[in-house]
Amino acid sequence: MKAWVIAQNEKAARELAAGVRTLADQVQLVALTDAAAVTGVADEVLKVAVPAGAMVESSVDTIAALVDAQSPEMIVAEPTAAIKVVIGRLAARRGTAVVTDAVKINADGTAEVMYFGGVGHRTVKPAATPAIYTASAATFGDAPAATGTDTVTEVAWVEPASALTVKSTEQLPKADVDLTAAKRIVGVGRGIAAEEDLQMVRDLCGKMGAELGCSRPVAEAEGWLPREAYIGVSGVVTNPDVYLALGISGQMQHMVGVSNAKTIFAINKDKTAPIFNQADYGLVGDIYDVVPKLAEKLQ
Amino acid sequence: MEVLVSLKIVPDDQDIQTTADGKLDFSIAKPVISSYDQNAIEAAAQIEGANVSAITVGPASINDTKQRKNILARGPKQLFMVADDTFQDADANVTAKAIVAGAQKAGNFDLIVFGAGSADTYAQQVGIQVGELLGWPVVNGVSKITAGEGSITVERTTETEVQTIDVPLPAVVAVTSDIVEPRIPSMRDILKAGKLPVTEWTAADLGSDTTKAIDIIETVAPAPADRKREVFDASVDGDIDKFAAALAEALR
Repeated sequence: MKAWVIAQNEKAARELAAGVRTLADQVQLVALTDAAAVTGVADEVLKVAVPAGAMVESSVDTIAALVDAQSPEMIVAEPTAAIKVVIGRLAARRGTAVVTDAVKINADGTAEVMYFGGVGHRTVKPAATPAIYTASAATFGDAPAATGTDTVTEVAWVEPASALTVKSTEQLPKADVDLTAAKRIVGVGRGIAAEEDLQMVRDLCGKMGAELGCSRPVAEAEGWLPREAYIGVSGVVTNPDVYLALGISGQMQHMVGVSNAKTIFAINKDKTAPIFNQADYGLVGDIYDVVPKLAEKLQ
Repeated sequence: MEVLVSLKIVPDDQDIQTTADGKLDFSIAKPVISSYDQNAIEAAAQIEGANVSAITVGPASINDTKQRKNILARGPKQLFMVADDTFQDADANVTAKAIVAGAQKAGNFDLIVFGAGSADTYAQQVGIQVGELLGWPVVNGVSKITAGEGSITVERTTETEVQTIDVPLPAVVAVTSDIVEPRIPSMRDILKAGKLPVTEWTAADLGSDTTKAIDIIETVAPAPADRKREVFDASVDGDIDKFAAALAEALR
């Protein structure tokens, strides 16, 4: 079976190529940037040279022509904003739909995805080829390191009939925290009433040697913590040794972001909060009362 | 500017239960506006000079009086309701084709607005497919919209940067989940909403292609996580100490 990887970053190119190799005997890496044109991980790199000043998104016509020429049966794509546009447009042209955030992809084309952020798991199968998926390294678990050749083929650019251009850009500030690497994390939720109250939590984080994360309302509605701190299905998925949830109810969309934690602790004043069913150690209590006491005991 | 906001009505996932044989039970999960679509409705309503209509496509169960008023209490002046079991678990291609048919039947729109992703599948694909099927420019990750003359200027947030893009109309945008906080409709808004027009269409009225692009083979509840579930109570003498001891041990 011939399968493609579509990527714009080096890490994803390597990880997805390694993963796709476990499913297909012929792997082509469609690189939308120089960085993604990694040799030695696929049988061939198909390098799309997006012209200077053009957006990666304007490569749809080029990719569509390449699909016609190469006939991949399966496409596994890196889920960046730009690539979602490219493959979404491609899917519309071909009367198919992308299987997004596949938790697992099988050689027979079936895939497992989350339903309601993890409340359910679904097994699905695209009806047509190419079957298109977005995936991450986690989709393929422990795939052996990717292997391949040095062959790089330049793909002829197909000029689109019309395209948007970027007028100006502003780099996003580099996140000063990477929760995906953190081994100890404290998460705060709606149980925190005001931004100033985060101070007692930060003190506790200090005592625990933990990073601070949060559920969606704290990052988005309140804006007390940056996007990179939002733990959940549409935020960051973490792998800590210890996770302590403060004033978090335990909704699946958040818990999916910490389900890999070795040990989960939770404090919530509502004894019926779903989080107590998903934690190793729970404490029913008022975080305003308990958190300072905990910080003291952990001295 | 004629703006159409497309939203999804889904079962309230807080009330989805698990059956004894590991399947999902929706019996007490009432229909609600998919969370991130509330932000999209608000974003559409706040575009300067926008006359907003709403469209929603789904199974028969989405045609719920409370949700119709909920939608019309948030800014849209009319609602196009396509509630037909043909659209149960419809994939992005089927849904996009229906929305294109609905949009063309409903009027001439300058802008179609989508949310960041639906609460159930979070595919983030319907808006993109609608743009392609209409032959219009489409921008995802839109975090700000400023109305212009025959165009809009958007700020679009990617993984690394915020891009400013001028988009000629007609166009499709998919906004971020935090573009703007949705209003909490007042009783007055909800009462007024009861008088706004709702047009109901079936799949046959739209005549769009409903051939499935993705087959759903099975939906199951995940096995419950293997956790200790030891629960202490702060009001019980010594329990905070026990909790602290367990935490200290785990931190070792």
